[in-house]
Amino acid sequence: MASRKILMVGLVNLILAGWLGTSWVFSSEPPPEGKEESVSVRIYLTEESLPTTDPLSGVWDTVPVSEFNLAPQVHWPDRIQEATVKSVKVRGLHNQEELAILVEYQDPTEDEADAAALEFMVGDSKAHFAHGQEMLQVEGGPVNIWYWKKSDGKAMDMSAKGFKTLRAQDQQDVSATGSWQNGTWKIVFSRPLLTGDEHDAQIIPGNWTSVAFAFWDGNLIEGEVKEKGSQKAISSWWYVRAEPPPDDSIYGYVVLGLVIAVAFELVVARKLRKGKSA
Amino acid sequence: MKGPLLKAGIILACMYVAIKFILPLFTAPLPASLIFLYMMLTFSSIMIFFTMSGESISEFMGPVYRFISGEGQEGIAKTARLLVFLIFPLLVGWQTYTKLAPSDLPPAENRTIHPAPPGEFVGLANPTPDTPDTIAMGQGLYAAFCSPCHGGNYDGKGPAAVGFNPPPANFSDPGTIAQLQESYLFWRIKKGGVGLPVEGMPWKSAMPRWEFELSDEWIWSIIRGEYAGAHQAPRTWEEEEDE
Repeated sequence: MASRKILMVGLVNLILAGWLGTSWVFSSEPPPEGKEESVSVRIYLTEESLPTTDPLSGVWDTVPVSEFNLAPQVHWPDRIQEATVKSVKVRGLHNQEELAILVEYQDPTEDEADAAALEFMVGDSKAHFAHGQEMLQVEGGPVNIWYWKKSDGKAMDMSAKGFKTLRAQDQQDVSATGSWQNGTWKIVFSRPLLTGDEHDAQIIPGNWTSVAFAFWDGNLIEGEVKEKGSQKAISSWWYVRAEPPPDDSIYGYVVLGLVIAVAFELVVARKLRKGKSA
Repeated sequence: MKGPLLKAGIILACMYVAIKFILPLFTAPLPASLIFLYMMLTFSSIMIFFTMSGESISEFMGPVYRFISGEGQEGIAKTARLLVFLIFPLLVGWQTYTKLAPSDLPPAENRTIHPAPPGEFVGLANPTPDTPDTIAMGQGLYAAFCSPCHGGNYDGKGPAAVGFNPPPANFSDPGTIAQLQESYLFWRIKKGGVGLPVEGMPWKSAMPRWEFELSDEWIWSIIRGEYAGAHQAPRTWEEEEDE
């Protein structure tokens, strides 16, 4: 019977409107940003030229910065109770082929033994931030370390899986350029997003992975370099992601949804009118 | 003629006010998802009640059908209908967008703060004597090995603390060592962060694995010193009272 059909259509319409209405009214807010969730490194997508070898490029001033506190390495012997570098500012850019990450930090003196390193987890397995140190209940993976030292003038692509296993990789993919001015080091690390080397962290736009930092102040104290080897400033793991390219197909689906909703309305209204006049 | 529909609207409004504003006066505020659930239940119940017979259906749905079909509408009702017809597709479009849009947020932190210890670290008793000497020794060891992170005041504010995520535990907070047995502390100190199970996210922990540098006896004395210094007591079994 026509009235039964009308009833069903009307009920469906009402329930749909009710669901949409209530879910809109009661939609939950995004989770509050706690200290741990809100600080991460974002490697922004750019269509302009990438400043892969220029830490002083004006382009960096346009990139949003993340800042992280550092700690002296007190986790494992040989410990150091105080380190020069206290915090680091990080900026990242990529052009879907290559990435460039700029680290900026305070260091009162420019020394030959000044050094900086970025550390990444490799693949899907978790790795402890201390060189992929062995974990007792979790099967850990290796880490990929990008190490730059002023006296070398370039970067070294390295791997580690536990203490005393740090070694240079056969395939070198990382470049770095540093510049010290007025008590501030700026070092830009660059590398293709994907390297094809299984020992490397592959940076896939849209995927979150983890990064940690380490810095050495090569200042001489009583004729000796105090910060070397495991004696350095370190950070914990922080999340990092290369921005994915925008997905415009969403808007197509939004328009489709709009069209279907309008058509639905018109059909229901017409059916109800026909039912009435029958 | 709008009687049942109006009643339904009033019931829904009262229900919302009751669970959102009145109930929290007696209990804790309800999470949005629970409020939504209760509202949906109320809505479904209203629908079932008002569609139980042919007469009640037409009484209830009549105004709705007339509103949607637009028959004989004038003035404000016509404008209202147009507004609803406009807003509905916009809502659909908005919902589609929010469901499909990629999230910019990093993964949520679901770390278990106090995961279960391995069996061999359950129920151990502190073998060191509960004396001022042990406490003094423990606090001396604490100052040397633990205070750089956990602070000289046992408050998690040591000079190295600010760089670590998660930060070193604040022992003066009643949510940390006061909630735990000494046996648990012994496990955490001896095996360190790397000894945590996967839900504790061992890869993030800066807690050293002290068994390589400190003897068991030293660790137990540090535990005594730490409780005393933080003015906390360990979680322990209730003592039976003599009748």
